[in-house]
Amino acid sequence: MKRTRNAAWTIFIAVSLTVFTAARAVDRPGVGQWKAVEIALPANDVDKAYLGRPIALALDADQLYIVDAQDCAVKIFSKDGEFIREVGRKGRGPGELSFPSGVSVIGGRLYVADKFNTRVQAFDLAGKPCGEFSVPFAPDKVWALTGETLLVTSNPTGRPAAEKMLHIYDVGGRLRWEGLEAQASSDPLFDAFRNMILVCPGEGGDFFVLFRSGERSILHFAGSGVLVGKIPVDERHAFRPMDLPFPGPKKRLLGFCWAAAWDRGFFYISAPAPVEGKDLGPGRLLSVVDREGRLTASIELPCPVHRFVIGGGRIYAIDDDGGLRIFEVVR
Amino acid sequence: MKKLAVVALAGLVLVSAALFFPTSLAAHDVNECYKNHRDCRENALNLDAPWYKVMLILTVCDVALGKCVLAL
Repeated sequence: MKRTRNAAWTIFIAVSLTVFTAARAVDRPGVGQWKAVEIALPANDVDKAYLGRPIALALDADQLYIVDAQDCAVKIFSKDGEFIREVGRKGRGPGELSFPSGVSVIGGRLYVADKFNTRVQAFDLAGKPCGEFSVPFAPDKVWALTGETLLVTSNPTGRPAAEKMLHIYDVGGRLRWEGLEAQASSDPLFDAFRNMILVCPGEGGDFFVLFRSGERSILHFAGSGVLVGKIPVDERHAFRPMDLPFPGPKKRLLGFCWAAAWDRGFFYISAPAPVEGKDLGPGRLLSVVDREGRLTASIELPCPVHRFVIGGGRIYAIDDDGGLRIFEVVR
Repeated sequence: MKKLAVVALAGLVLVSAALFFPTSLAAHDVNECYKNHRDCRENALNLDAPWYKVMLILTVCDVALGKCVLAL
């Protein structure tokens, strides 16, 4: 009798395990391994093609735009990496830039976050300045959501309470919406990391916000600024923890992504990677996550990348040396 | 006795502060300090360096702000 009961229990447990595993497999299908094939770049012998401190990239149908904070210019390349020209120079006047940190292009207009001049400037694609507006903070990144509205991000200073990190302006410089309050505590250093965000514009004027640490959900905002959803990201894109090396109560940063991009229904999230033991830096592994947060594929790049944009099946990335690298994604 | 010691200590701290920081804080442009601090932080946050390094630079920015505000 006892033997029969044991056998029944064993069968019950085995069946339960099989059903559970099958259900998980349906819910979390296998992860594909996509390849990144590097494309050789032209020589670009002119001095202006050299990238001193590339800190933001943008892409349109024909060209790649890279902000060089050192040269205070936006450098324009063909999609095969051939240097075309630069826009802007150091200064405070119209068409001049001081620590440009973000760029976006839409409808033949180039919008640049002119950080230390605390303004957003517009250029035509030939490089002629065609408008600007001041903002009451140091703009970090700018994203043209539509031909009429711009999303401008800012890093919180940690001084006034309830600082907002997202600001939507119309192209004439009128503030339409502000939101996403910065997290604040008694440790401004910890807060500086917790408040590091990345923005991926969607395709219909909407946009997504990712926190670089501590949060594994992607926030989805409508173009009006209304939060329309939270996308929990598959746990297989794991947190990379890092302990802060300062005295006092132990604080741990949970590194989530170093850089991110959105292209045709997929998020490309680069995981931070361990650097020299306890530190976290840019990594080589990109997780491809669908709109529901499921991990669809991973891409291992031949080198760590700091920032990247994706378009037309290609990854345009900045490597450790500040150089441009282009990879073709093979599914 | 305890109260007296506290008052004496507080007085000593104030006198030391007055001797140690002779510059008039009012005459010093504190806004410029905060602007430099903002620029320093923005530089650090846009470094795209590993986080430990960014953390150290942010700390240096904070120390520099303290020194600037106190006109040291």
